Amino acid sequence: MSYEVREEAGKDGRKILRIPKENLLELMKDLKGQGYDHLALITAVDYRDRIELVYHLERSSTNFEILTVKTDVNDSTVDSVTSLWESANWDEREQYDMMGLVFRGHPDLKRILLPEGWVGYPLRKDYDLSKTQYVNMDDEGNDRVSFDPGDGW
Amino acid sequence: MENGLEKKYIELNMGPQHPSTHGVLRLKLLLDGETVKHVEPVIGYLHRNAEKICELDYYCDSLIYFDRMDYVAAMNMEIGYLEAAEKLLAIEPTERVKWIRVVMAELGRIASHLVWAGAFGLDLGMLTPFFYFFEEREKILNIFTEVSGSRQETNYMSIGGVYQDFNDKIIYKIREFLKQFPKKLEEAYSLFVKNDIFISRTKGIGILEPEVALSYGVTGPMLRASGVPYDVRKDAPYLVYDKLNFDIPISKGKDVLSRFIVRFEEMRQSVKIVQQALDKIPDGPYFNPKAKKSLMIRLRGEGDVYARTESPKGEFGVHLIGDGTVKPYRVHVRSPSFKNLSILPYLSRDVLIADMVAISGSIDLVFGEVDR
Repeated sequence: MSYEVREEAGKDGRKILRIPKENLLELMKDLKGQGYDHLALITAVDYRDRIELVYHLERSSTNFEILTVKTDVNDSTVDSVTSLWESANWDEREQYDMMGLVFRGHPDLKRILLPEGWVGYPLRKDYDLSKTQYVNMDDEGNDRVSFDPGDGW
Repeated sequence: MENGLEKKYIELNMGPQHPSTHGVLRLKLLLDGETVKHVEPVIGYLHRNAEKICELDYYCDSLIYFDRMDYVAAMNMEIGYLEAAEKLLAIEPTERVKWIRVVMAELGRIASHLVWAGAFGLDLGMLTPFFYFFEEREKILNIFTEVSGSRQETNYMSIGGVYQDFNDKIIYKIREFLKQFPKKLEEAYSLFVKNDIFISRTKGIGILEPEVALSYGVTGPMLRASGVPYDVRKDAPYLVYDKLNFDIPISKGKDVLSRFIVRFEEMRQSVKIVQQALDKIPDGPYFNPKAKKSLMIRLRGEGDVYARTESPKGEFGVHLIGDGTVKPYRVHVRSPSFKNLSILPYLSRDVLIADMVAISGSIDLVFGEVDR
């Protein structure tokens, strides 16, 4: 192994692996080789100075036992794991949408729940909740987002 | 192309207001005649960002947003959240509460599958079964009204307990329901499987191989219909599921029909579970005194937990992070419908539009949960 993994136990007894961002894809490839064929979810936590990216993996051969992989992201860019699990496609789009993380190598990285023109990333801690954004549709059928109340439905 | 003609595909927009899309799903179709060449689901029309709202609320308040995720199986959503919250706050529900929750979860599962079966029939042009199923579902909703005061968005459970204890009237009502339900279920079941049109519209349609399903993150009846016996109730038991005797139905058919059969078998198993649980409910308090109502908003938790439960749609996971204050720092929900929907473009390659409707119906989509 050419990378360093730190192992810790979660509060509920889960096994957690911590890995530097540079080696994430390498570790994920190895885990896929070890039989982790089900990527349950990808989530991210904003700690203001860094964003922690969390992967929950499950292995079908051993009763879907769960393994958590965590990595810290400082500059919002990280390698995509869509080449290993198809389910990463929508999960990474969700994290791009909500947290503003950019996944290198994602085939179609765009917002999934919010319209394309939305300003800001809602699940970040510094997101301004006091500013209302209004969504409307232009003549071509594309979503248009603005801060002007007269523009809403 | 020959004759110098260029082959062009038609773009068609289906939804977000369309009777066969189960809510506000918008599908961008690329059609060659009646054949679907490509489909792109557009979601987010019901997005409320429940995860952000939960961050702004006390631990006990977040529960009602979970009710509104999978709004046809609110009881199961509540259990999903409480499994995580109770682990984080270190508050164990009492033994009686665990059994009560199992009864409610299985009734919720039956109600959810009944709604699905009714709506699935409508997708395929069968109107009659819908009324059979909704009549039965209404009886379950009456039980929910008796225990919690509301039909769908029950808000019945709370941290460490439930809102009110089971009394004789509630238990009598559940037993009355269980007495007549299996017969009605078989009657409605035969309306489907003895119908040649239904069989020809579902058999061999939407074949999903187990490896593909796992890679796409598909769980629940969809995955079990592809032959993978994954059920959180068996593989990582929560509440008291390890003390109950029930089977996990799987099918090797991998198609729309086998998803239908698996869901029906699950309902029969749920009836079995409720009957056992009703016989075994122990006496005791119906809430944990550490989390009585006056203390509820002062509960603090630190650390991170991931709890998964088996909702009617699949593996429902809640990732909950606390920073030692009275409000959660981050809540993330793994909604099974969201993952199950992502397989629709794969399953809908080169099928007829009518078959695509059958496939999207068999996924069991609830948009409160997909968009959260």
